[in-house]
Amino acid sequence: MNTESKKKSSNRLVTFTWIIGIILIWEIGATIIANTKRSPENVLPHLWQIIQSVFNPNFVNGTQTAFQIVISNAGITLLRAGIGFLIGAGIGFILALIMNMFNPVEKTLYPYLMIIQMIPILGMAPIVLAVTKDINKSRIVIAAILTFYPVATNTLAGFKSVEHEKHELMHSLAASQFEIYRKLMIPSSMPYFFTGLKISAPMAITASILVDTLQGGGGLGCMLSQSLKHATTIYIFWQIVFLSALIGIGSFYLMSLIERLVSPYKRAKKAKR
Amino acid sequence: MTSLEKIDNEFQERDYSIQQEAEIEIKIENVSVQFPDNNGGEPVTALQNVNLEIRQGEFISLLGPSGCGKTTLIRAIADLQPITTGKISVRGLSPKEIRLQKKYGIVFQSPVLYDWRTVRRNVCMPMELMGMPKKDRTARVTKMLELVGLMEFGNHYPHELSGGMQQRVGIARALAIRPEILLMDEPFSALDEFTKEKLHEDLLRIWRKTNKTIIFVTHNIQEAVFLSDRVVVLSPHPGRVSAVVDIDIPRPRTLEMKESVEFNALVSKVRNSFEGV
Repeated sequence: MNTESKKKSSNRLVTFTWIIGIILIWEIGATIIANTKRSPENVLPHLWQIIQSVFNPNFVNGTQTAFQIVISNAGITLLRAGIGFLIGAGIGFILALIMNMFNPVEKTLYPYLMIIQMIPILGMAPIVLAVTKDINKSRIVIAAILTFYPVATNTLAGFKSVEHEKHELMHSLAASQFEIYRKLMIPSSMPYFFTGLKISAPMAITASILVDTLQGGGGLGCMLSQSLKHATTIYIFWQIVFLSALIGIGSFYLMSLIERLVSPYKRAKKAKR
Repeated sequence: MTSLEKIDNEFQERDYSIQQEAEIEIKIENVSVQFPDNNGGEPVTALQNVNLEIRQGEFISLLGPSGCGKTTLIRAIADLQPITTGKISVRGLSPKEIRLQKKYGIVFQSPVLYDWRTVRRNVCMPMELMGMPKKDRTARVTKMLELVGLMEFGNHYPHELSGGMQQRVGIARALAIRPEILLMDEPFSALDEFTKEKLHEDLLRIWRKTNKTIIFVTHNIQEAVFLSDRVVVLSPHPGRVSAVVDIDIPRPRTLEMKESVEFNALVSKVRNSFEGV
């Protein structure tokens, strides 16, 4: 218990040092830039100015405060990324399952999956929009495309990593193919599946924001590129930057949390260490 | 009869007197196993012309150094390894038919536990495959954990247990479906000497209570002699049976018997029957 609490407090110390370090560097940068006369005043505002802008009750566009604008657009982006992520995770899992069951499918499909991953997301966005003819749908599809690949490859690796002896045990018990997947393969690939989810969750959100910047239709990225153009809305820009980072990190931890809820043995492992 | 009574009936003490006249359960006739050489050379002969009869309720050990084919033989009986020539029949049926009837319990060298399942649910798993009702499963799991002495650890996860305890869970799981034949492939070879001796005593106690046929693969002479009714000595290159030694030490056996003159004479007898090692 003692060493455990020591370890925890040292972890906290590391986090604390990091945060302090980032604040220091930011503030030094902001001060230097504020003092160079030529730059526009607000390019790199002080942190307290950004925090203040969050609580500023003045309307920016006549009906909403800066923070209200950010939050409502974050909702749009999150919803698209979230739906896309769920669809992508589902497709990724099913693809892994099919590829594992049928070897020829794996051999034919895998190169295509890799090619899809190679296409830059900014190049894919107009194509997807042309196909779906709908801003919302296209963003969802983009998020799904980015999600399914890490999920599929990791889950497939999980299926393949099941020990030979575990298969022999199922064989000796005359288990059916369905039972082997249900009782052995799927539960045993869960840590890999969640690794895939942890990689793709922040990616789905980042991609959603990125694609927003290209095409209109609201969302964080859309606001991001608009707000950058005017000195009066620069705080919206910085609020979005920070919020996006928080959402990305949050999505990762959300996946870890869900994993711990579905895999109680991992909790037991943690508690023991 | 309720399910619990059925389980209790399973644990009637063994009567040693009948055992000698017990019927032949497994018949191995002229069995050879060859593995194709990957480099296109001559196939490797893992087993050559093995003949063996195993009686119902017998504790038989397959003993030999690595490469003697002892694991190949037990895997052939378990229908995990196809044989090249010869015939294996178990109660008049093929190993595959016996496997499909779920009459085999297998304990591997490593415990092969599912780390996402608790001890209880690991033991339960084969019964789920048999489609046994939940109530019966729970009762049987409790009984099995009692049998291997892990009652307090039912809700632990495998990684929280020691190696010896994990292997006990493996034994409980193998016995849970009430197999006719228990196949054990070097189950204790990864354990320390103290744990091993404890498990030897436990295994003999379980065997006495359950009246299973046990085929036990090992490379440890003392272990084979202490546990078995008969020790099948296999020699390598090519794998073949070089002797079958009857172990007539009285049962129930205790650890003190390992120091007896009788025991050590049998150990030397077994040791001397190896060929070409």
